[in-house]
Amino acid sequence: MKVTLNWLKDYVDFDLTADDLSHRLTMVGLEVDAMERLGEGLDSVIVARLADVQQHPDADRLTICKVETGSVTQQVVCGAQNHKTGDLVALAQVGTVLPGNFKIKKSKIRGQESCGMLCSVSELGLADESDGILILPPGLPLGQPVFKALGLKDVMYEIGLTPNRSDCLSIVGVAREISAMVGATLQLPEPVITESDSLVTQKTSVTIEDADLCPRYAARLIENVKIGPSPEWLARRLESVGMRSINNVVDITNFVMMELGQPLHAFDFNLLREHRIQVRRAHDGDQFTTLDGQIRTLMESDLVICDGVGPVALAGIMGGGNSEISPETTDILLESAYFKPSTIRRTGKRLGLHTESSHRFERGTDVDMVPLALDRAAALIAVLADGAIARGVIDVYPEVLTRRLVTITASRTSQVLGLEVDADDIRNKLNSIDLKCKLLIDRRDGAISVEIPNFRPDLEREIDLIEEVARLIGYDHIPVTMPASTLTCQQLPGHLSLERQVRECMVHAGYAEVINYSFFNPECLDKIRLSAEDLRRQNVQILNPLTEEQGSMRTTLVPSLLENAVRNQAYRSEDLALFELRPVFQPEDGAELPRESLRLTAVLCGRREPQGWAQSAEKADFFDMKGVVEQLLTQLRISNVSWQAEHDESFYHPGKSCAVYQGARLLGTLGELHPEVLHDFDLGQSAILCDLDVEALIELSCATVKFQPLSRFPDVQRDSAFLVDADVPAQRALAVLGQVKINDLESIELFDVYCGEGVPAGKKSLAIRACYRAMDRTLTDELIQNLHGKLIKAMEKELGAELR
Amino acid sequence: MKDKLNKIEEAALQSASVAASEAELQQVRARYLGRKGEITAVMKGMGQLSPEERPLAGALANQVKDRLEAAFAERQESLRQELMQQKLANECLDVTLPGRRRRRGYKHPITQVTEEIIEIFAALGFGVAEGPEIERDFYNFEALNIPKDHPARDMQDTFYVSEDVVLRTHTSPVQIRTMLKQKPPVRVVAPGTVYRRDSDITHSPMFHQIEGFLVDRQVTFGDLKGILTTFVTEFFGKNVDVRFRPSFFPFTEPSAEVDIQCVICGGTGCRVCGQSGWLEILGSGMIDPEVFKSVDYDPELYTGFAFGLGIERIAMLKYGVNDLRLFFENDLRFLKQF
Repeated sequence: MKVTLNWLKDYVDFDLTADDLSHRLTMVGLEVDAMERLGEGLDSVIVARLADVQQHPDADRLTICKVETGSVTQQVVCGAQNHKTGDLVALAQVGTVLPGNFKIKKSKIRGQESCGMLCSVSELGLADESDGILILPPGLPLGQPVFKALGLKDVMYEIGLTPNRSDCLSIVGVAREISAMVGATLQLPEPVITESDSLVTQKTSVTIEDADLCPRYAARLIENVKIGPSPEWLARRLESVGMRSINNVVDITNFVMMELGQPLHAFDFNLLREHRIQVRRAHDGDQFTTLDGQIRTLMESDLVICDGVGPVALAGIMGGGNSEISPETTDILLESAYFKPSTIRRTGKRLGLHTESSHRFERGTDVDMVPLALDRAAALIAVLADGAIARGVIDVYPEVLTRRLVTITASRTSQVLGLEVDADDIRNKLNSIDLKCKLLIDRRDGAISVEIPNFRPDLEREIDLIEEVARLIGYDHIPVTMPASTLTCQQLPGHLSLERQVRECMVHAGYAEVINYSFFNPECLDKIRLSAEDLRRQNVQILNPLTEEQGSMRTTLVPSLLENAVRNQAYRSEDLALFELRPVFQPEDGAELPRESLRLTAVLCGRREPQGWAQSAEKADFFDMKGVVEQLLTQLRISNVSWQAEHDESFYHPGKSCAVYQGARLLGTLGELHPEVLHDFDLGQSAILCDLDVEALIELSCATVKFQPLSRFPDVQRDSAFLVDADVPAQRALAVLGQVKINDLESIELFDVYCGEGVPAGKKSLAIRACYRAMDRTLTDELIQNLHGKLIKAMEKELGAELR
Repeated sequence: MKDKLNKIEEAALQSASVAASEAELQQVRARYLGRKGEITAVMKGMGQLSPEERPLAGALANQVKDRLEAAFAERQESLRQELMQQKLANECLDVTLPGRRRRRGYKHPITQVTEEIIEIFAALGFGVAEGPEIERDFYNFEALNIPKDHPARDMQDTFYVSEDVVLRTHTSPVQIRTMLKQKPPVRVVAPGTVYRRDSDITHSPMFHQIEGFLVDRQVTFGDLKGILTTFVTEFFGKNVDVRFRPSFFPFTEPSAEVDIQCVICGGTGCRVCGQSGWLEILGSGMIDPEVFKSVDYDPELYTGFAFGLGIERIAMLKYGVNDLRLFFENDLRFLKQF
């Protein structure tokens, strides 16, 4: 909503600087989004007279003008066509900077000197577009700044109105707020109507068939109007709030809408068949052409204004081409009505049609403003378009809308705000915005009955009035306190603290966290080779996505993470360690909401260590990722996991990947990417991935820590290398060793795996280090020999291992 | 005899002082103090002296011997020192070469800011709650006093999954879910991902919010100001001004928008704050009685306030990030800065 300082001053007397007003409006809930000083810095654009206009000798489209400014006469070359000798024009003198940072310099145009520029309306920032230069009305003093001479020095405020404040969709509405803040009276326009002898009731009639959708419809007939351009002041005023001037009658309806907030519509009376108006629901499937030339198909829920035959306007939204005002129009039927907000909203939304008029009706207009707006516009049309107002008003208002009564108490107000207010404070504040208050004497709690005017449809309950009181007192005046609330222990929920641990662990391992959109295009699942039956192919689809790429909710984080890797490689960040810890969305049969489960997906590519003169340049591999996963499991105290080479994920290299289980519970998978996936994503180097089910990790995480006492006796280490069949997994060998019951065995570690020279084909050497230590004594060589022998025997027996 | 010893001593000291290495010094020592050394020879020859002279000569010879031993030891120490100095001099590193580093990890700036905000509210006694990102219309709109056909639905252009299921447009449904589960007092913040059907330089279809609310007996608008002013000063610093101004949200009344003094220009007006000197950072208000009705709290007994803020916006202000889209492009050059 745009308003200007000068326009506001027509209705309320106040003396605030432009900046003060901006601040005060914002603090009362009418946030000023932008402020523009019209004519600022343009004092060097002055009124000048064209003493002579000659054709430029070397250019068809240019003229050479002799311009009088009162003191001197200058020569200006002008490219416009609409000027002649004797006109008053706006001369931007040399040195002026016009809006858009356009500086006027002395120059030569096709050999002719030009001192300044003759300006158009748009060059002065008064309108978005214009034809030709601005020809000023006669009689203005030469040499005076144009903005001053026209009274255009003004400040425009653009207010970001919240949807509840439909009352401020008008200059008068904003002026009412100003009147409350400065303690001045709001002065509404008082139109003077002079009526002709022609009787409106003899010429036309209005019937409302659906009064539930149109509670009030008023009209006046104005005859013998002359359609033409608006006077300068009217055009400028509309332009100052961002509207285009069209013709005098249309401009007047727009002017009154901006002024009073009541949208009006002017019909060409002679185009109304049977010269009458009916307001009714449309018939399903009716076709109707609106002013913008679009053919609209109507439904029964749409309200239409009809003449004796059919629709002539989409009520409250847009008129029809069949009854539009044209230069030939002589008689006008002027409509001022109140429509039910939800009807206008529904129709506007369905047809995708949003106008200044519908914007107001769907937020709720003031039914009591209907007659004033009608008279105001009629009086202006009589003056500015030379029309004769027919005698009488048609005002169909079958059931008067009563004003709501709402009770507010001082005690409740004080309690909600945390500020002591009494009944008088409340009454004063509410009176200042034209709410009528009556103290309820019989109640002793300072209760006040408030009559809500129809321009405030948002005020329905006590709390709404409390907000008004708070707003008018000013939020600044409410004291800052701390709640005296009951204290309760508020620990971070367990799963959130574990989620944090997972994240910290990945960060410590050197991985950078990424956040991708939760949307995806399911086609990317082909690129990670998911089978057609894979559960992740079923996804939650968005009915109204912004793009096809964002059409569904992710069921896996893998594709987006790979895209991140590709993108970073393009920027030559080739050594990458990224992870994402976010939910995926899986539809569930019979459930209204999908299952949202947290996953951890990480990708690693390039060098194991950061680049540097003393750093290893080795490439990271499967075991780097496995190390991270192991570290994570240790951090979460998840033990007894098994690593299985068999798994279902087809985006991994089949020989360099595995699944992690605890018992039968799958925790996730990890491995090198399949070469085809690398190829399809255009990843230039191998990448290692892990994809873990964080819900499972959180469930299996063991929170309790139990201390193990430390032995004061020395340990003894024994190393042995075993030859086993090459296909025996290390996990199997360690399991065999782990099953041997030895009390004083502290740990077993696999420290070397070897095949090659000295090891027969089909075999491999596994070297282990066993560490023995007792709590209560130093172990003897003999005993250790004995214990270690048990390990060797188990390996020989279970795996046919040979000691090397 | 005495002269002879003196001469030997002088010669020995001379030789020791020119010995260039420990080995050479050993040779010198052997030459004078060794089994076949000159001093040894003199001492061996003492038998020929008279019994009166012998003790005197013996003492003299021992003195010379002690002095030489001390001199050799001193020389040896200085040679050792020299050698070490030389060795150390040769072992000099270029300490300006970079150190050996491990790869560093980074938390996403959105995560960092979320955690920081949660910590401030945790210190104020707020717990943490969560809710689903795909949400029923009831929790996202209806229960929050936003019926169908209400103009407020325009404020939040919504992604629909079905007629009754949406991608949540704010974290406020967590309010409803929490209040339905728990009776007052409630004091909770709810961080989360939200979605709106909007994408341009200042809007992202997915972003993050943190919601907070407190319900108890006798909670006032003044308390809302107290908690949020404390938050702002904790997060942005004590010197940053805060203002509360009237606004509108369907689920709060009175509603307030909270602005802070522009952290870019300090309040004098710049491009970021649109010349106003103020930055809008959060929406808040007293929870609307209608909302209490939908969760079966008695609005006569309880009052409360709620607030919501956009994490991306806060992060942009905190770090001076000028393009919202950077948060979701996951460019390592960006992520590494936090």
